Amino acid sequence: MNTVKQVKIGDKEYPELLKYISNPPKIIYYMGNIQIASMPSIAVVGARKATSYGKWAAFEFAKKLSQYGIVVVSGMAYGIDSFAHKGAVENNGKTIAVLGCGIDICYPAQNKGLRERILKEDGLIMSEYEPGTPPLPFRFPLRNRIISGISIGTIVIEAGISSGSLITAEYAAEQGRNIYTLPGNINSMCSLGTNKLIKDGAIPLITLDDIIDELGIARSADIDLTGINLGKDEKEVYEHILHAGETTIDLICRSIGKLPSEVNAIITILEMKGLLHTAMGKVFVAN
Amino acid sequence: MYSQIISGSLYGLISEQVIVETDLSPGLPAFNVVGLPDTTVKESKERIRAAIVNSGYKFPAKRIIINLSPASTRKEGTHFDLPIALGVMAAVGYIAKEKVSEFAFLGELSLDGRVNRIDGALPLVIGLRNQGIEKIILPMDNAEEAAAIVDVKLYPVCHLNEITAFFENRMKISPFKKRRSDTKKKNLINLDFRDVAGHENVKRALQISAAASHNLLMIGPPGSGKTMMAKRMPGILPDLTYNEKLEITKIYSIAGKLTPDCPIIEERPFRSPHHTISGPALVGGGASPKPGEVSLAHFGVLFLDELPEFNRNILEMLRQPIEDERVDINRNKGSVSYPAKFMLLASMNPCPCGYYGDSTHECTCSHIQIRNYLSKISGPLIDRFDMHIEIMPVKYRDLEYMKLLEPENSELGCLSEKAVNSLYKDSATMKSEIELARQIQLERYKSENISYNSQLSPSHIKKYCTLDKETKKMLEDAFTRLSLSARAYYKIIKMGRTIADLEGAERIKVMHIAEAIQYRNLDKMYRGL
Repeated sequence: MNTVKQVKIGDKEYPELLKYISNPPKIIYYMGNIQIASMPSIAVVGARKATSYGKWAAFEFAKKLSQYGIVVVSGMAYGIDSFAHKGAVENNGKTIAVLGCGIDICYPAQNKGLRERILKEDGLIMSEYEPGTPPLPFRFPLRNRIISGISIGTIVIEAGISSGSLITAEYAAEQGRNIYTLPGNINSMCSLGTNKLIKDGAIPLITLDDIIDELGIARSADIDLTGINLGKDEKEVYEHILHAGETTIDLICRSIGKLPSEVNAIITILEMKGLLHTAMGKVFVAN
Repeated sequence: MYSQIISGSLYGLISEQVIVETDLSPGLPAFNVVGLPDTTVKESKERIRAAIVNSGYKFPAKRIIINLSPASTRKEGTHFDLPIALGVMAAVGYIAKEKVSEFAFLGELSLDGRVNRIDGALPLVIGLRNQGIEKIILPMDNAEEAAAIVDVKLYPVCHLNEITAFFENRMKISPFKKRRSDTKKKNLINLDFRDVAGHENVKRALQISAAASHNLLMIGPPGSGKTMMAKRMPGILPDLTYNEKLEITKIYSIAGKLTPDCPIIEERPFRSPHHTISGPALVGGGASPKPGEVSLAHFGVLFLDELPEFNRNILEMLRQPIEDERVDINRNKGSVSYPAKFMLLASMNPCPCGYYGDSTHECTCSHIQIRNYLSKISGPLIDRFDMHIEIMPVKYRDLEYMKLLEPENSELGCLSEKAVNSLYKDSATMKSEIELARQIQLERYKSENISYNSQLSPSHIKKYCTLDKETKKMLEDAFTRLSLSARAYYKIIKMGRTIADLEGAERIKVMHIAEAIQYRNLDKMYRGL
């Protein structure tokens, strides 16, 4: 079983980048592998209440980053944070969870399984608070400076206009780190904050590979979509969805003049091929 | 001075013959009823005394003992008024005893001697007929209802005096003939699916669920049209058969839900109880158990709007009736069993505020709230829904766009005829397709104890739902790729069978299963919440 260890600011193992922020924590309590806190890492943060688009993006970006050996940092909250961690461990990647409470407390309790998984993948769970410190609202914005502080850049996936993720972005800016954001529909409540960040100068990520390009890592060979074998009907539906971005089955039926029975079946096939993603009555492109 | 009158008594839906014995003996005037009468029967003494006197007869000043035989079973209901009154009158000699012996009597009395309608007339008449009784005197108001049984002579009466006049041959009462009511059969269902703009996917799902009585759960934000769609369900369900009508009418008769306007239930029931409903009202109950909403929805639809608002304990009560297709109600007075073979249709919001996942409103619920909301519906209950679909609100600009697609504007040629027909499919077309599919199922399962695909057990599935290699492979892949739960497996196959039946296809093909998977949204909807 993992025991709670601690590292002080002068120690050799103290996270490298964290030393340079304006108010670094004096002591860090942690479980797992502290070494990875000094490895190149990217923070993936966002709203707790996210859309399925946001959850999908968090998962995929984290997966992509860990594929290239980059550590994913997040706060293990509901929503985007959880999906970022899940995406990283999906590829057996390393990930760091920075908590706003004592690290012996599993908050939210539902993430118990995720917490174990993170440690299993040689990840790290850390906090500046002593074990036993309860999770209180004021501590979360404070820990956000650590999330951005140990990372070379921060991706804000989805954030409403008053989301805590914007605080993380603010810290990242103060600390001189890069801020990347995921653009969203301008009528989506969950993308108001991120779109505003783009307006203020954050770097928009318009494909999954953008983050890899931005970090200057050589990309592995692209997945060739044309290689996937699609029937005529499947292609027609897929192309429509590619065009529409986010749509519903009713709209697909109307646009290409097919029956709901046919469209439903085709959607399942495309979903199984990993090209689509359905949730809450909507259909999205997955890649 | 002794007389015997035939009547009946109800135990749930089962009716048994009761002999009302009357004995008048000299002594202090008294009027006692024995043979386990309940309050309604005990009270009848007062009505009977007044009715006899007000009909112009003298009430005997004797010791009157009424025995309801067999004396060991409980008797209840106001329909004993008439047989007891007739027993007294026959014992006194106002009516010839030998004449009444071939009749059975049912009816409640007013103080002035009028004969009022009773509850449970149809099951009582069926029970008496099964005991070999051919002539029944009953209230005029119940005649239409009881006339559903053709091989028994019904003599409807309005007043006690008519009966005495009839037995004294002063008046003729001819056996009741059912009015030709087909012409006045009003179409209660005037809600048509054609009037629904958009939602073709939901229409399709409802059609599948109606074709094989699959239980269906609709999830969507407020105003997305869940209730509107549900209300159109009765219009696409197949017509009732004679036996089904009879069984439903029996239940409604006992529940006292038949009215003079509607003596026979002609349409499939559509019951939508409010979410404040109590347990006994839902599954049936009371000191003398009456049928609840599940039984009133027999052969029809039970629609639970805003499912999570229902009391959780009450929802759990639904589990056993859904499995067994009947409810057993046990009370200290005895146990009764009512049939409850219904299709469960339910709707819910995705979260307490209703806007989780909606693109136009922000959801104001916390995660805890959403989880609590969902946890009101237990896993075992969710398991009983074969299909879950999500409904998105139709946007105004879509409504505008759809005007262009109406068949009248077909010259604009935006869409193929097939697609326009699907968009504006009316209830009549849907119904005829459903009837065909149900016919196929009835034919296939005629040697089994079931009628619809939704009732298939795993062993039935092995027998009737063979999947070819390709389909099997696809289903396996779907499970791993889309992380479906194991419980979804049989439901998807059953739905696939129904989709194939709607198409008239003998074998379940890949496309049928692929479509069915789309109707299992809940399995992935809240994943990772």
